[in-house]
Amino acid sequence: MNRTKADTAESTQSAERLAAVDSILATEEPLIPSSGFLASVMERIHEQARLPLPIPFPWKRALPGVLFFIGALVWGAVELVRHGLPAGSGITLTQPHLSATLERPLQQAAWVALALCVSLLSWLLSRRLAGRSGLL
Amino acid sequence: MNPAISSTSDLARADITAVDRVLAGDVQAFEGIVRRWQGPLVNMAWRYCRDRGRAEELAQEAFIRAWRNLIQWRRESSFSTWLFALAANVYRSELKCFPIVNIPLDSIAEPSTPAAQHHALASRLSADTVRRAVLALPLRYREPLILFYFHEMNLSRAAATMRLPEGTLKARLSRARALLRRRFPQLEAEHMSMELAILNAGKEA
Repeated sequence: MNRTKADTAESTQSAERLAAVDSILATEEPLIPSSGFLASVMERIHEQARLPLPIPFPWKRALPGVLFFIGALVWGAVELVRHGLPAGSGITLTQPHLSATLERPLQQAAWVALALCVSLLSWLLSRRLAGRSGLL
Repeated sequence: MNPAISSTSDLARADITAVDRVLAGDVQAFEGIVRRWQGPLVNMAWRYCRDRGRAEELAQEAFIRAWRNLIQWRRESSFSTWLFALAANVYRSELKCFPIVNIPLDSIAEPSTPAAQHHALASRLSADTVRRAVLALPLRYREPLILFYFHEMNLSRAAATMRLPEGTLKARLSRARALLRRRFPQLEAEHMSMELAILNAGKEA
């Protein structure tokens, strides 16, 4: 019983305390924008409207190139697996034996793949950062 | 018919019409949007920085961002909800890049007991101190508090502006208020005694 009374008193006190902060923060005289605000916003909007539209990335033109690179990567990976791992031997940690003619192109392909991965990651990171800062 | 509801729906209709015109290429139609929302956006920015010049700059940036991204308003929510959320995002990121000069919450002195003849001025000063103390709170608690009171203590509208679940906002709000109450215990006592005095005066009358 006493406990309930104490709880009620505490909650009443808490509510009163809340009222003090609430009354201060909720009652605030509204700020009236300065007389030139509307004009200055519209001036900047018109300025922005006059600017030429940003050139969009030519996805249609780039698509064959992108497809070619993806195809080359897939082909490189398939070739690497086919020549690197002898049939039935299972996966081992030892370096696969490659024929001398294939070794150099595959190394180059691996570097290209790595560069593409780094580019993709940096593009994704920059998009993420730009999105966070509200630029996009 | 409720005039408030009627005016709200009129506003919403006017916004939709203006947005359609802007999207059709009529840049001047955006003026209606700026005219209608300049007050709320400047006031919201003011609560974020307590600097009039900066508030207008921030509000201007928000309008420009809104104009650029108008096509992204999917009309699932009202235009005002979308605009406030965008503005909050702009204010947050702009103030992150160029923060306002803040003093730590602990170093803000609580206003002293006012002399009777200066009561009005003193209460105004103490209210201003509390409002400025909001800016000294960590951003995590500051923003919910700013938006909750900006939206006249409407929790769901504040949550929509912050794009947060209501429960999360409520928890942060509660923590923010607790921090403020702990910082200003004397103010609470003064407020309570003032309330009592008003109550007693009412009884005597």
